[in-house]
Amino acid sequence: MTTQTLTDEALKAEVTAWLADHWKPKAGDQGAGFGLHPQRDFMAKVVEARWAVPTWPKDWYGREMSLAQAKIIEKAFAAVGAPGAGQDRSNLWANTAMAHATPAFKKTIVPALLKGEVGMCLLYSEPGAGSDLAAIRTRADRKGDHYVVNGQKVWTSGAAVADYGMLIARTDWDVPKHKGISFFFLPMKQPGIEVRPLRQITNEAHFNEVFITDAIVPADNMLGPLNNGWGVLQTALAYERSVMGDAARGPRSGQDNPKGDSALVELAREAGRLNDPVIRQEVAQVTAYKVLNRLNNARAKAELAQGNSSPIMSLGKLAMSRILHEEARLRSKLLGAGSLLEGPDHPRAEDANFLSLNAYFTSIGGGTDQIQRNIIGERVLGLPKEPEVDRDMAFRDVRSG
Amino acid sequence: MSAITAEDLKVFVEQLKRLLADRSSETEVRRLSETSEGYDPTVWKALADLGVTGLIIDEDHGGFGGDAVALERVMEEVGAALLCSPLLSSAILAPALLQALDDDAAKVRLLPDLASGAKIATVAITGPSAGWIEGHVAVDAMAVGTDWSLTGKAAFVTHAHIADVLLVVARAPDGVAVFEVDPKAAGVSLTSLPTFDHTLRMSDIDFAKVSARRLACNGSAWQAVEAMIDLALIALAGEQAGGSRRVLEMTVDYAKNRYQFGRAIGSFQAVKHMAADLLMDSESCTSAARHAAQCLASGSDEAPSAISLAAFACADAFSAITATSIQMHGGIAFTWAHPAHLYLRRARADAHLFGSSDFYRERYVQQLGG
Ligand SMILES: Cc1cc2nc3c(=O)[nH]c(=O)nc-3n(C[C@H](O)[C@H](O)[C@H](O)COP(=O)(O)OP(=O)(O)OC[C@H]3O[C@@H](n4cnc5c(N)ncnc54)[C@H](O)[C@@H]3O)c2cc1C
Repeated sequence: MTTQTLTDEALKAEVTAWLADHWKPKAGDQGAGFGLHPQRDFMAKVVEARWAVPTWPKDWYGREMSLAQAKIIEKAFAAVGAPGAGQDRSNLWANTAMAHATPAFKKTIVPALLKGEVGMCLLYSEPGAGSDLAAIRTRADRKGDHYVVNGQKVWTSGAAVADYGMLIARTDWDVPKHKGISFFFLPMKQPGIEVRPLRQITNEAHFNEVFITDAIVPADNMLGPLNNGWGVLQTALAYERSVMGDAARGPRSGQDNPKGDSALVELAREAGRLNDPVIRQEVAQVTAYKVLNRLNNARAKAELAQGNSSPIMSLGKLAMSRILHEEARLRSKLLGAGSLLEGPDHPRAEDANFLSLNAYFTSIGGGTDQIQRNIIGERVLGLPKEPEVDRDMAFRDVRSG
Repeated sequence: MSAITAEDLKVFVEQLKRLLADRSSETEVRRLSETSEGYDPTVWKALADLGVTGLIIDEDHGGFGGDAVALERVMEEVGAALLCSPLLSSAILAPALLQALDDDAAKVRLLPDLASGAKIATVAITGPSAGWIEGHVAVDAMAVGTDWSLTGKAAFVTHAHIADVLLVVARAPDGVAVFEVDPKAAGVSLTSLPTFDHTLRMSDIDFAKVSARRLACNGSAWQAVEAMIDLALIALAGEQAGGSRRVLEMTVDYAKNRYQFGRAIGSFQAVKHMAADLLMDSESCTSAARHAAQCLASGSDEAPSAISLAAFACADAFSAITATSIQMHGGIAFTWAHPAHLYLRRARADAHLFGSSDFYRERYVQQLGG
């Protein structure tokens, strides 16, 4: 392959032609939720044709391409609504495995993840460890060539259909809490794992409790060195948060929703509220939040393409949280008393109310807004860290609650 | 003047608290939310026996003659307990309207049964454009001999599905008037609405040449409707104040007992500051609700603006408190099993019944001379 010398125009022509040959849109197929993709056959072709992760090494389904050119591919895919491109940015599972898995495990798991052949979940949070993830009490004990895992996880999205869970578990209790954690790909379909769905405020059950009793994970499924799971987790969290800053789940009523920057203007017009000066101000403000987040992300990516990491990267998830809460609030306001309703016969109200509840997925899930602000203050702005009382004591002696 | 003394009210509220603790637990609220009636007739009976259904009905018609202050105070408890009942419709809207209209025969005919809880009534006010203002009334009334006939649509009618009596605001040739309708009469069709607040029941009602009895009115019937809405806004403000305080308590309690990073989450400034804001909002909500009630009860000139203020300040406070509460709880409040969302849903309903915050902010600025 001679992608290095490929001009932007030639690349665009190549990917457009490929899509024309291979992409047959099917109605009703939305993107991957938790790893497993509804269009696995097509995804496999995308990976084999090296469109999935163009910035990756050539030995790993990539083209060693610049971020700028990778973006051309993403755009061409997005233009026809085809899935599978941009995974070097967005596939948190594959990126984490690529960065930290053993050579043997990487070989089987990475292509499977890129092709959307395995369902995935994140086994991080526990009843006593949410914001304070390093307080986990799930344990993994070495026995020969595998580890035995015991403990309980909670809020695990997608656990009911997952083949693997990215697990953090304690492997050393005699060192401070961040230093005794290891990171695994835990096979989910085994007797020691019981998944109990939890009903959400959205009246759905995507997240679950996971009870783990003597479950087995091969030692080869460990990512990074023993007791270095905290570092691996930082990679995975960064990808997760970046994805959450880029996009969020939309309305669920099935009714067509206007798209693009004028979407809220359209909704206001439809509701007969476009002449209301207060509404006009709010439509402008909420739309601005969306556009500014997009502009911030674009600048961050451009800086990344130049090889500089950007502090803006950390802002996306927090910005998205505000966008979602504010858009939902405005949608309800547009409907007035109409927002008292829900259900399929009242799709606009259903969407406004669903979005107002689901906004907490972004403002709590993946690290709360408060934790995001702490991270921005401390890691980006270099403000002093809050003293952490249990940071340096052996985990065995830490108080739980 | 209230026929209930401050001392009596205190005792009454204590009794009500006990009744609600016993009969409107979270488990009961959840159970009733799933039923189609949406209330428990035996609890309704208990509320009637205590005197809640007759609270604002005058003593001559079997009630207790309670004023806005008593009503507001009672509604604080109702809001804290998320009571599922047709109280708003049958013990507030309908009697308030009947008393404002002052049709003696209608009062004698209807109020005693409402006071005793034997009958449930509701009021159909706005049409589908849902503005709760005169221009949004969408039922027309035509005289047919000495009788009247109603045709048109009413929307968001609370508890109509269990009502024995409908009071319908409609447009007669000589202006807006109020009509008494039997919900089982020919030409009445009810459509139950799926509500975001599962503790609330509402219907749209279609009227096709429905025979109706016109209620007499001493003055403008629309002014009587406005007087009714004002009292309902005070009731909702009380409900919002009580709900706000309960959510504040629940949330602060959690912040004291949930540990992360080896300390109570309430020790983090981010959480502490959110808690302080909850208190500010909840206290302001209570003050606004009680002040509006006091103004109305004492016939103060300030009453109209105090009611507008309560209408938006309490709606916004309860909405903000319930929304922040979920954030302060973290993942646990994203579950159906946690009560936080039940209050959020109630807050959203209360904020839209009888007009939006924006509507009352505008009315407030006008009342201030703007
Ligand atoms: C819809 C949804 C899906 C989720 N999916 C997953 C999943 O798939 N896998 C998984 O592992 N987890 C998942 N989570 C869990 C999520 O990551 C946690 O809920 C989140 O990190 C918060 O933890 P917590 O719920 O224990 O709240 P807590 O940590 O108890 O936080 C409670 C409150 O305290 C605040 N707080 C805590 N510490 C601080 C501090 N240091 N400074 C300031 N404020 C603080 C928080 O901001 C919050 O307001 C999901 C959560 C949700 C809501």
